[in-house]
Amino acid sequence: MAGIEISALTKEFPGGVQALNGLDLSIADGEFFALLGPSGCGKTTLLRTIAGLETPTSGSVRIGDRDVTRLPPGARNVAMVFQDYALFPHMTIEDNIAYPLKIRRQARETRLKHAHDVGSQLGLDGLMRRRPAELSGGQQQRVALARAVACHPSAFLFDEPLSNLDARLRLEARTFLKRLQRQLGVTTVFVTHDQAEALALADRIAVMEAGRIRQIGTPREVFGRPANTFVAGFIGSTPMNLLPGVVRDGAVLVAAQQLSVLDVPDGEVVVGVRPEYVAVTENGPLAGAVATVENLGTSSLVTVDVDGLSIGAVVPEDREVEPGTRVALNPTRVLVYRDGELVS
Amino acid sequence: MIGVFLVFPGLWTLYIGATNFRLTGVSAREPDFVGLDNFERALTDQTFYHSLWLTLIFVFGSAVVGQNGLGFTLAWALRDARKWIRRTLEALVLLAWILPSSVVAFLWIAMLDRDGGTINALLGTVPGIAWTVEYPLLSIIVFNIWRGTAFSMMLYSAALSSIPPSHLETARLAGSSGTQTLRDVVFPHIKRHALTNTLLITLWTFNDFTPFLITASDYDAEIIATFIYNKAIVGGEMGYSGAISLLVLLMNLLLALVYLRVARRRLA
Amino acid sequence: MMLVVKRILTYVVMGVGTAFFALPVLWLLSAPLDDTPTYAVRPPRTFSLDNFASIMDNRYAVASLVNSTILSLGTMVLVVSAAALAAYALSRARVPGRDALIYLLLLLSSVVTGTAAMVPIFLLIFQLGLIDSHFGVILVLTGGLLPAAIFLLKDFIDTIPPSFEESARVFGASPLQILRQIVVPVARPGLATIAVWTVVQVWGSFLTPFILLRDPDKQPAAVLVRTFYTEGGSPNLGLIAAFSLLYSIPVVLMYLLAWSRYGFRFHGGIKT
Repeated sequence: MAGIEISALTKEFPGGVQALNGLDLSIADGEFFALLGPSGCGKTTLLRTIAGLETPTSGSVRIGDRDVTRLPPGARNVAMVFQDYALFPHMTIEDNIAYPLKIRRQARETRLKHAHDVGSQLGLDGLMRRRPAELSGGQQQRVALARAVACHPSAFLFDEPLSNLDARLRLEARTFLKRLQRQLGVTTVFVTHDQAEALALADRIAVMEAGRIRQIGTPREVFGRPANTFVAGFIGSTPMNLLPGVVRDGAVLVAAQQLSVLDVPDGEVVVGVRPEYVAVTENGPLAGAVATVENLGTSSLVTVDVDGLSIGAVVPEDREVEPGTRVALNPTRVLVYRDGELVS
Repeated sequence: MIGVFLVFPGLWTLYIGATNFRLTGVSAREPDFVGLDNFERALTDQTFYHSLWLTLIFVFGSAVVGQNGLGFTLAWALRDARKWIRRTLEALVLLAWILPSSVVAFLWIAMLDRDGGTINALLGTVPGIAWTVEYPLLSIIVFNIWRGTAFSMMLYSAALSSIPPSHLETARLAGSSGTQTLRDVVFPHIKRHALTNTLLITLWTFNDFTPFLITASDYDAEIIATFIYNKAIVGGEMGYSGAISLLVLLMNLLLALVYLRVARRRLA
Repeated sequence: MMLVVKRILTYVVMGVGTAFFALPVLWLLSAPLDDTPTYAVRPPRTFSLDNFASIMDNRYAVASLVNSTILSLGTMVLVVSAAALAAYALSRARVPGRDALIYLLLLLSSVVTGTAAMVPIFLLIFQLGLIDSHFGVILVLTGGLLPAAIFLLKDFIDTIPPSFEESARVFGASPLQILRQIVVPVARPGLATIAVWTVVQVWGSFLTPFILLRDPDKQPAAVLVRTFYTEGGSPNLGLIAAFSLLYSIPVVLMYLLAWSRYGFRFHGGIKT
């Protein structure tokens, strides 16, 4: 068991592509940590650098009390689960799970027994003699997990572990994964582009963009107070309203209406409000006509045109409004961004 | 390995071509450097031009038109034929391709024979025509179509199956006829394959020695391959045939470059 | 109406095609079993296996099949091992201009393995003193087949996800272990395809052994079959037919084997 320390990590690919740009990151022992970001943001490169599959251009990686920056992947005592699971098609499930132990020269009987123990822990009884191609996607994912568990690493590295599953299975696997991580208590770093997955699973999240970390925090912090407009726009299943506004004498104005009074200097700002925190009422500071109503199941997303701005608001299922109705909006938990960064 | 057997012969041909190297006699031991004489001789040699012309007809008739056309026709016709029909015909075409060249050469000697040959029997020609003697070039063209169509057929059926069905269905919904569909949907899709295919079969046919096995050294079917063989191995004139080899090599490379050019411009 | 015409047209094309491709091969099936074969395609007049017996009596016939086997297997071992290493390296290395290089080699090889290289190769082998040596033929054939083999195999290895090897690396496997335990087993269908392809190519190759082997004791079947003439100077049809059939069977069998086990992995996208 070990924490992971990353300092000033830079990775430049041949051709000048800067995948990681001076990253600092500290992951605590036993933490479930998510690397979240759009594709091409460097999150997978970071994970692969921790695994040792990529060599950093500069900077260092420490796992536990060892500097592993120059160590080959096999000497780092980490286990990795790949997006495509990388189950060897020519081996049975038991041989797949036992493969790491074979590399460590354990006797065939010992390693098969161990593989079966881990297999039954992960609900793979009865599948051990089959080949990967005969298993469903969800089962394959568990085999990949079992193989990682079987080598008792000091850290797990998961690359998009749920992205190859269909939507229904993904929820199930998500719960399973979280429970497994809690049981084992092993430091786990996983990469995802799905913000809901990161929020649901992780103890802490690092949101990345273009080789840099834009915010590190708990799911609550990242969701509730995004540190910049990038994170604000990326997190949340309904996108945050980012509205042009001004601050005059501490009063925050959007469409010339005062939303709240905050202790910030005057000037042009971007005002962020989550649709979940916008109430549709009879009287509020912003007024406009309902343009569209999208049913989200237990709630609906209402888009309202206010002086040429489209503002989203989430209403509970018994409070729907008809398109065309004039309504007033009352935003709460207003965030103010200046030059893209959160100021209040 | 590749270097030794591909690049080295190329360079060496250049050297050989510039000497009067012969397999026997004085110049076998001490070849003299004769500069460009061999190339000059080749470029003024009527028999060389004769042979080159035959080769062009052979390549154009059997590969560019024959194998390409028949290969595509078969691939298109078999596209939604019943499974056993497709399997049988494919197997037959493939068989012509995989049988050893000495064997297929003999099969066609039998087919084309004057007295007992099957072609004459089918055409009912009495007395029979000695095809390999009277029409040697036509004989090897037909033979080569038979021999090599399999590659084009397989390549085109792979290409045809890579056309998204939705495109064909869109054409059908728009009410386009068979020829229109071929022109507007199918050809744009397989253009790249067609170019690659034509290039490969052209080069293969250019360098194929098998026709020699049917028509031997018949002057009216003395394509470049046979010509070089006759000059070098039979006649022992290494220097001269080396020069011709190099010319042929250059022609092939030129051909490949032209194709690549066209391919890049068309498909860029 | 149009549909009917199209139907008929399709069947005519297929019928003529079938006849065109089937007729020559029929001779190969009927003549060997005929007591007195002619050039005509016809069912055997008097059924007999004498033609096969006469192969056994021919001192060179059996030896030539052995020679063909030696050449095929020797070339196969060289081609498969060299192509596997080269293809793996080319598939995994990040080399700029890699695809252009491979394509160029492929073009060059299809140009050079033909007649254009006949003279230099003959001289090269002549000077090395490898005329009449199986080893010389194997070397030349390997050189000629290697580029295409690398190309085909690279195409195959490209489809193996790099995550297989990376996964093994994270578990601590050495490069040799990865090659032996992961890459070779996963690439086995591709390797087998290349092996079959090589054997078939060599088994049927005529020109190279024809010019490099003068001694009839060393000639493979492809070359030898051209020497079966009767004392009168006309071709010994019975012997030729029977021998041709015998000589063709392994090729067909190998194709069938490859087909049934792996299917024809034909990559239509021989891309530039």
